[in-house]
Amino acid sequence: MQKIPLMLAKADMIIGRDVFRGDTQVGIPVCGRGTVLTDSLIDRLERLDVQTIIVEGHPVWEDGDLSLDDMLLDLSRRFDKVKDDPLTARLYAIYKANLIKSMGDDGGRQAE
Amino acid sequence: MDDKRSELKKIIMDTKTLPTLPGVINKLNMLSENEKSSVQEMAKIVSSDSVLSARILRLANSPSYGFYRVSTISNAMILLGVNVVKSLALSSSIFEIMEKNSVGLWEHSLAVGVASNIIARKLALSECEEIATAGLLHDIGKVIISLKCSEAETAILAAIREQEIYMREAEQLVLDTDHAEVGAWLSKSWFLPDKLSEPISFHHNVIQSDTHRVKTSVVHIADIIIKASGFGNSGDIFVPKIQQAAWDCLKLSQELLAEMVEDIEDKLIEVKNFSLEIQA
Repeated sequence: MQKIPLMLAKADMIIGRDVFRGDTQVGIPVCGRGTVLTDSLIDRLERLDVQTIIVEGHPVWEDGDLSLDDMLLDLSRRFDKVKDDPLTARLYAIYKANLIKSMGDDGGRQAE
Repeated sequence: MDDKRSELKKIIMDTKTLPTLPGVINKLNMLSENEKSSVQEMAKIVSSDSVLSARILRLANSPSYGFYRVSTISNAMILLGVNVVKSLALSSSIFEIMEKNSVGLWEHSLAVGVASNIIARKLALSECEEIATAGLLHDIGKVIISLKCSEAETAILAAIREQEIYMREAEQLVLDTDHAEVGAWLSKSWFLPDKLSEPISFHHNVIQSDTHRVKTSVVHIADIIIKASGFGNSGDIFVPKIQQAAWDCLKLSQELLAEMVEDIEDKLIEVKNFSLEIQA
């Protein structure tokens, strides 16, 4: 999942987390998780003063963003001392699978 | 080396050398020991100090507790319990320092608070707010080391980098003690209840926690999950080992751990937002 400014939102992106009015975390969501964005929905969110949204995958790439390969390398380094420990290795496997899943279809982007 | 340890212990046990604790805390301590005193009476005492009240409410509205609309001290006492509010009052000045000087550690602590709460709820444990508070406070010893031994802190950070060791190993090398023991001294000096002081003292050594091993195990697992996620900056480069005693104590399984990680990762976005709002 990725947090992006609303101005970078495009039709067909999928909302990853409920969106609330004015970027707060309280009240009734104005747009639910799993909703597919349309141009008119983006206009409506703008009018409701929503500044940022969280979308599925990693559709927007900016300078400094790590590629999936880089993220997996960082993860592997963090677990360097405990990969042979059976319990902690389970946590490593969970994080590795989550990273691959969360990067969605754009996960294949290679480090530049 | 032992001299440094004794010196540090002396500094911590002498409360006058620590960031100022308001007189309100003493009054609150006296009231909370008296069975006849009401929550309203205690809330009135805390509310009389507006700066302290604002700090407590900010922590009470952090994602660690998940209430978000705690607007009065008396609400905080009802929702979080007197013990939690008292602990937040005691530690609020330490958090103030953390927010300003160690944003990475502040984010790590907030995230461990959130993760402890999520794990506790997932396992249907009682006293979730107290477990979240223990998570929030678990690394409080690191702030004291940074505050009182800045030269040693530089040597500790260098040892972590150069020797590729865990922070507590580096602390032992340089100071002959570590942040968990320093946290234990601080908890004693503040008269924190055992349910908070045990997780602070033993989150790296669960087996030593006798009375509150479940709470200590939750904080141990929460700390490791947050280190695994790479969120914030605890000072450690490497993820520590999950201790078998904690795994057994919480009756964990791969599936349960995966569900916890998913819920925690989901909530970390809120933690980041909360931290950014505070920094702004």
